[in-house]
Amino acid sequence: MTEPAITVRAFFERARAGQLVAIRCGSCGELAIPPKELCPKCHARAWREEPLAGNGTIASYTVIRVAPRAHAAGVPYAVAVVALKEGVSLLGRIVDIPLESLAVGMPVRFRPFVAPDQQPSIGFGPA
Amino acid sequence: MRRVAVIGVGVTKFGLHDRTSAELFAEAAADALTDAGIPAGAVQALYYGNVVGGETEHQLHTGPQAASVLGIPSVPTTRFETACASSHAAFRHAVMEIAAGVSDVVMVGGAERVLNVSTAESTEYFAYTSDAVWEQPLGLTFPGVFAMIARAHMQKHGTTEAQMAAVAVKNHRHGALNPKAQFQKQITIEQVLKSAYVADPLKLLDCCPFSDGGAALVLASEEVARRHRKPVWVLGSAAASDWMLLGDKRDLSRVPATERAAAAAYRQAGLGPDDVDVVELHDCFTIAEIVATEGLGLFEPGAGGRAAEEGRTSLGGEIPVNPSGGLKAKGHPIGATGAAQIAEIVTQLRGEAGPRQVDGARRGLTHTLGGSAATVLVSLFGRD
Repeated sequence: MTEPAITVRAFFERARAGQLVAIRCGSCGELAIPPKELCPKCHARAWREEPLAGNGTIASYTVIRVAPRAHAAGVPYAVAVVALKEGVSLLGRIVDIPLESLAVGMPVRFRPFVAPDQQPSIGFGPA
Repeated sequence: MRRVAVIGVGVTKFGLHDRTSAELFAEAAADALTDAGIPAGAVQALYYGNVVGGETEHQLHTGPQAASVLGIPSVPTTRFETACASSHAAFRHAVMEIAAGVSDVVMVGGAERVLNVSTAESTEYFAYTSDAVWEQPLGLTFPGVFAMIARAHMQKHGTTEAQMAAVAVKNHRHGALNPKAQFQKQITIEQVLKSAYVADPLKLLDCCPFSDGGAALVLASEEVARRHRKPVWVLGSAAASDWMLLGDKRDLSRVPATERAAAAAYRQAGLGPDDVDVVELHDCFTIAEIVATEGLGLFEPGAGGRAAEEGRTSLGGEIPVNPSGGLKAKGHPIGATGAAQIAEIVTQLRGEAGPRQVDGARRGLTHTLGGSAATVLVSLFGRD
């Protein structure tokens, strides 16, 4: 048995506290978002934690106007795939950026987002 | 490996029904048996697709339930769940059971019922096909996934909202020729462009509807198929997966699972995109059709939007896509869709598609996508 480098639960506890964490393969150097048991590139089982600065640019985004029940009161809201400068990408909720100013390539910065059901999640706000 | 043929097809009308998904499957299945001219007692297994039965009908264990309602309770059944590709995944495994010599006659089916719950509920249940920890808490929806694919495609290739609208207009024109279609009404580019945004840049008329419906196929070994009318042969059937999380996908303007499944299916069949006469593909959203036509090799990457606008994928065009009306107009009962697409291609290759017939079609392709483009199946069919 090998303990995971970081569990999903631990990832989101750290995210709630403002810190994004990735995992780097001790064998081939691949950087990935947890959880992954094996490195998708070399299949080694040798992850170690690595903090992410939280800075990136919008790779794509959408403004959601028809939402699942739990989010219906919040429409319209935007979600975006953000390419972080370290080379991994994360989906997050756009916070504190006017929806009409969103654009592919816009610089953004990680901030914690708390879902309507109180689950900690990923947000991105002004850089 | 033995050759496998489809010898019978059945599809219910798609749209609002007041019957359970098992009843809808059973209607399609009985029709498929009649179409095949084979007794129900000949069926040796049922491979079944159903996705949100647990949510909308409080019904799991839908395989034996479907077999029971059809009236063949003792055959082995397995329910497949690969989101919207479920009954195409079921089909691929049924093909393998016959090809391997385990069975000679196998039924494939699928059904879904969602119009008995509200749009907010079905939107939530469909979102369960995205990641529950990383994506659902953000309020990501299924249109939202394809909206981001659309934005990436527009950014990279200059694809326009009018080109996406052309897909919807074309599929509604085809659907108007299909009596089983949920929508048998033509629409205009202007209507699509003026419809309300659901997830920018996708508008209501870029999206397929929520649908109830069922579909079924009877598959047979070559020995059995030779005794039946107009068998349509399975020339290849392949599946591919991709990263579950949108953030892990490297290029949102492409669907790598489509490219991989297509390459494998073409290799099995010894065919290429130029050999295909008719295509039923997964147009859950208009952009999905554009990206699929590129991933299947029908057009170069980035050329799919223009091709749609120029009518090249229309009935009468160089490669007719979704003559049934596609998911957009025919409807999308998600557990039934893969089997229904195959039923359409079989009907086309038999030359029995009536006003929507692709003249002289000899070879056809079906493509079904599941979830956030994390599952894709591609199958190829031929008259001989």
